[in-house]
Amino acid sequence: MKLNVNTQIAITYLSTRKKQTLVASLGVMFGISMFIFMQSLMKGTNDYFEKSSFSSTPHIRLYNENKVANTHLMDNAIKDASVKILANPKQLKQNLGMTNPYGIINLLRKFPEVAFITPQVTANVIYTSGNVQVTGNIAGVSIVEEDKMFDVQQNMISGDFHDLDKVNNGILIGKGIADKLSLHTGDNITVRSGEGNDMTMRIVGIYATGMKTVDDTRSYANIVQAQNIMGKDRSYVTDIKINLKDYNQAYTVARRMEVITGYKAEDWVQANEQLKTAFKIRAIILNSVIGVILLVAGFGIYNILNMTIYEKMKEIAILKAQGFSGRAVTSIFLQQAIYIGLMGGTIGLLLGFLLSFGLSRVYIGSSTSMGSLKYFPMSFYFPHYLEAICFGVLTTFAAGFFPARKAAKVDPVTIIRG
Amino acid sequence: MMADIALRARNITKYFHDPVTLQVLKNISFEVTSGEFVSIVGKSGCGKSTLLYVLSTMDTDYEGELEIQQERVTGRSLNDLARIRNESIGFVFQFHYLLPDFTCLKNVMIPALRLGRLSPAEIEEKAYEKLKLFGVEEQALKRANKLSGGQQQRVAIARALINDPAIIMGDEPTGNLDSKNTGLVFDLFQQLSKEYGQTLITVTHDEDFARRSDRTIVMADGEITSHGK
Repeated sequence: MKLNVNTQIAITYLSTRKKQTLVASLGVMFGISMFIFMQSLMKGTNDYFEKSSFSSTPHIRLYNENKVANTHLMDNAIKDASVKILANPKQLKQNLGMTNPYGIINLLRKFPEVAFITPQVTANVIYTSGNVQVTGNIAGVSIVEEDKMFDVQQNMISGDFHDLDKVNNGILIGKGIADKLSLHTGDNITVRSGEGNDMTMRIVGIYATGMKTVDDTRSYANIVQAQNIMGKDRSYVTDIKINLKDYNQAYTVARRMEVITGYKAEDWVQANEQLKTAFKIRAIILNSVIGVILLVAGFGIYNILNMTIYEKMKEIAILKAQGFSGRAVTSIFLQQAIYIGLMGGTIGLLLGFLLSFGLSRVYIGSSTSMGSLKYFPMSFYFPHYLEAICFGVLTTFAAGFFPARKAAKVDPVTIIRG
Repeated sequence: MMADIALRARNITKYFHDPVTLQVLKNISFEVTSGEFVSIVGKSGCGKSTLLYVLSTMDTDYEGELEIQQERVTGRSLNDLARIRNESIGFVFQFHYLLPDFTCLKNVMIPALRLGRLSPAEIEEKAYEKLKLFGVEEQALKRANKLSGGQQQRVAIARALINDPAIIMGDEPTGNLDSKNTGLVFDLFQQLSKEYGQTLITVTHDEDFARRSDRTIVMADGEITSHGK
């Protein structure tokens, strides 16, 4: 064995006190495995929610925003010298459609970041069946493109969405609407738009995303059908939905699109602000729990090393008498701390992985209200494991540093002479 | 030609401050030449052990000047002193003071491993040789705390010799040995000084041991009363 003498001594000390070494590394092990386990669960959950938010929200949505009339033109121009005569501004009825939507689509297609782009007509509607009414909104889309973008297929619980293009007056409704109106695939439903046109449509399918707000209100129709309901022409488009190659670029790309088109571009972060806040709060809770666990593990190591040093006072004095410098003594005890950390850390990594793996196999039901979630969403993300071992070693290093420095300061003369 | 000076002390003065300030060493000056076997004797509390710890470089709280191997060590950093101890001083304590968790062999090897001048295999061989000198090679692979007191002391002396130090210091090195073993250790010490030119400085109560050494320094009340020359 060609180990440094400090290392040899450190290892001998650890191996002659197996029980204490074990207890100290168990502390680190629990800290690390909890770190891995909770990080995996959190990232898995976050990823799941992020993904499911993309199942109904595009990365960027371009639309015509209703603006309040600016009554302060005079203020802006001549400041306080103006006298306001125009009071109580009202919203003008504006055309929510975009001007030259297909031109805009062609323009945006040239963005290298854009992966997918599709137009949509959205309108608030009232669904009626018998004498029950439900309010909601209808999205006029090209269902094939919609499927490519949001994977409509995986949410279908009955019927076939392709029929939307084949059946005249076809409609795809959310599970919530179907339950409230007691409707099934093949039944008829009356849809009334804000403009007052009634239209009887045939249900070609029912879907469930797991998000109640969507399932209770949203229905899909062919874009032409939707334009008909609103009594608009073929060029009437209210939204342009855009997916990017990398959704993390959504913010910057959206800002550029706003400048170029003059319409409001909302990125998915803005659209899901509550989701992001939830992520943030969850991360804070998680990190404080892990911090406390590692702190406790660190105190465990600190205690055990401190005790060891009191017990080994005489031996430290002998080592120093034989020419071990303070630095060498520090190294002996610091190494013990680091080996405890590495040992506990490695086992902790394994345990953390096994726990995460085990939980990812736990079946939590497949009711449609849960969407596609059937098992605990766990992520197996390599950097978590790297972070965990770094934290582990850092904690043990910090915990070992102070006792080790104390050992270095032992005065051999006072110890040996008693 | 004058013999080399192995150790020179000039006006060493030391105080104990606890519980009351007390001067334990008063202006001690002496020289030890290379290869000399010196005993320091005196009544309990005369300061002879205190002097030895100052000479060993472990105690740095003194006034005056100390030279080891013609090199001034007073005022050197603790790390430097540790290196000097490792290289040039072998120390034998009054009680054996081995590391109980290690085998005897390892105990002997550790100072040499620290020095790192030889390969571990060479060190092991050398450690066996040293243990053989004191007749404890059979105990080499036993844990140090499994040995009798006399055996432990012999292992401790073997350990002091492992780096072939220029100076060997002993604080009652034969205090725990029976007369047979004391004789063995004394003969070996004499051999080290005569044949290998190693310098020995021991503090002892054993008058017979002191008488047979090259020179006896007598101390009383923190002063040297006789240089034995």
